[in-house]
Amino acid sequence: MLTVAVATGALLAAAPALAQPVDTARISAGDPNDWLTYHGSYKGWDFSGLDQINTSNVKDLEVAWTHIPGRSTRGLQSMPLAADGVLYYTGSYSRTFALDGATGKLIWSFLPELDDATVSRQTHSPYTRGLALGDGKAFVGSVDGRLFGLDAKTGKVLWESKLIDSAKLTVGFTGAPIYVNGTVIIGAQGGEWPYRGPIFGVDAATGQKKWEFDTTSGTDEAKKTWGNDTWRVGGGGGWMPGTYDAATNTVWWGTANPAPLYDWSGGDWKNSGARPGENLYTTSVIALDPDTGKLKFYHQELPHDTWDFDSAPGEFVSIDRDGKQYMVHPNKSGFIFVYDRSDAKVENVWPIIHNYNFVKSIDPKTGELIGRRDFAAGKQEGVLCPHISGGVSWNSGSYNPNTGLYYKIGNEWCMTLEVVKTTPVTEPQVQLNIGANFEIAKPPSGEIYGHLDARDPITGAKKWEVRFPEPPLASVLSTAGNLVFVPDSRGTVHAYNATTGEELWNHGDGLGHQGGIISYSAGGKQYIAVTAGFGGMASDDYRANFGEPYKSMPRDEGILVVYSLKQ
Amino acid sequence: MKIHRVIGAAAVLAALAVQPAAADDQPAKSPLDVDQLFATVCGYCHADGGRHAGKGPQLMNTTRSDDFIRNRIKNGKEGAMPAFGKTFSDADIDKIIAHIRALKPE
Repeated sequence: MLTVAVATGALLAAAPALAQPVDTARISAGDPNDWLTYHGSYKGWDFSGLDQINTSNVKDLEVAWTHIPGRSTRGLQSMPLAADGVLYYTGSYSRTFALDGATGKLIWSFLPELDDATVSRQTHSPYTRGLALGDGKAFVGSVDGRLFGLDAKTGKVLWESKLIDSAKLTVGFTGAPIYVNGTVIIGAQGGEWPYRGPIFGVDAATGQKKWEFDTTSGTDEAKKTWGNDTWRVGGGGGWMPGTYDAATNTVWWGTANPAPLYDWSGGDWKNSGARPGENLYTTSVIALDPDTGKLKFYHQELPHDTWDFDSAPGEFVSIDRDGKQYMVHPNKSGFIFVYDRSDAKVENVWPIIHNYNFVKSIDPKTGELIGRRDFAAGKQEGVLCPHISGGVSWNSGSYNPNTGLYYKIGNEWCMTLEVVKTTPVTEPQVQLNIGANFEIAKPPSGEIYGHLDARDPITGAKKWEVRFPEPPLASVLSTAGNLVFVPDSRGTVHAYNATTGEELWNHGDGLGHQGGIISYSAGGKQYIAVTAGFGGMASDDYRANFGEPYKSMPRDEGILVVYSLKQ
Repeated sequence: MKIHRVIGAAAVLAALAVQPAAADDQPAKSPLDVDQLFATVCGYCHADGGRHAGKGPQLMNTTRSDDFIRNRIKNGKEGAMPAFGKTFSDADIDKIIAHIRALKPE
């Protein structure tokens, strides 16, 4: 049993005295002064209701303060939170900070010692993409398989829960948890690794594990969809936070892809190949009871996913329109699924990208894949689109209820592919199981590029678009000030008019962006906080393919930059 | 523990072994199938079987020494390359280096 020394920071500045504890009711209410959960509120909008900063004055936006978390291996990929004028955020290695939201002064820090030997053997590591708040605590996961419950006022460790044997399974937690009514929910990495992809529900008060849902084997029904018991090494997982629908007491989660990523079965995938069958519940949206972890309903976005286009990256956007209740969810392929929020029945499916050939199309009424492209072993003709980094990645889009538009980054890139039969390696330690050699390639339409689209989230109708020479990899924020903020990969934050797409302001942060952006208020003033620091998996391809500024851009630096209007 | 390491390495090799045994001038010191290894693990970052730069550096025609490559495979590089020292024996790494040196454009 590994003994871990936990360093707790000293309490430097008092937290606001009148702060009410964060609970599910507060997260549901979504006061615009706060940003209480990863996507802003359970609605999953990544939207701020604040309008002190707006189209008429955003040109006066300037840096208010900055904070450097240190040890920013692989950049800074996290989404901050804010409650009662206190900003919380995580860096790599689960380093967690509480700062005065107006001045950036440190309130407390949490700098855990991780199992370095285990971390050194990981690939998708050591970033920590965020935290959760609830019940007077801050909750953060670690890449060595633990979940911590910290006192939100002091950063002191109240409990620590070891959930995954990361030394054996080579995976842990990189994603933020969510807090729901006394339960903390977090999903493991896992799509590339031959294990079972667990999602956990943990008691917020004690750290005791309440439930575990294994995405490859959570029910007997699921196991039947894996020939030769390959569910045991099936991959899956749920590495980004889902959301909570309070009206039905349902947690929605996106699951990861199966392993190996690429199968050699060709069209006979139901009966032969690496993992015969649909491979439930990988590449699915699943609805769970938050207290028991029992499955309520699901929709598998890509049955027998053989392209690594998981459902895990995408946000869950709740939209009510014309008397209907929708849940909008982007699949990594670049197809946006629109569901009935009561039962995940497919209402529409629309592509945000132009270059795709893994299917001919997806039936918008049923979600059925039309003309799916399965592979036999060997070199594949032409290119596969989109690229393994996705038609969309895990950077969130934003829904603005005032414009009715969904602002989302689409990526136009493809890949060469040579499918190879592989065997899962699980001893002495689980290894990646890809099943292919590949390389990034230009799309048939021409150059690689990214685009911010303003779309009707239900119909997909496009209102406007802004193109970027390299796909932005950071989340997008829209506000009641009628602004859309896009932190790009070269290091510039842009603000656009949310109605027209006209650029109104920009500022260089000095490092590419691959994390989150939020807005909150402190002392009656509105702030925009963005994490800068490039170095994640998708960004790794930029140096070789795009040259500068990526060639000279450091991969292991990070900074939190907070903007406000001139005094 | 040395014994554990030998057993462990053998289990990895069982999954990644060449079938059938290669007919070389010398007896094979490691049965590792490096082509398999690339498609299973390495190829995630070493594009097109190591022939081009991508997430990781190009391995074909690398000017790095054997010692550099051996050290990199064993110890990794923080936030960039995992440490495979507990997975591969010295003979396995010899074979991986030989494979890298022999890489040609396709």
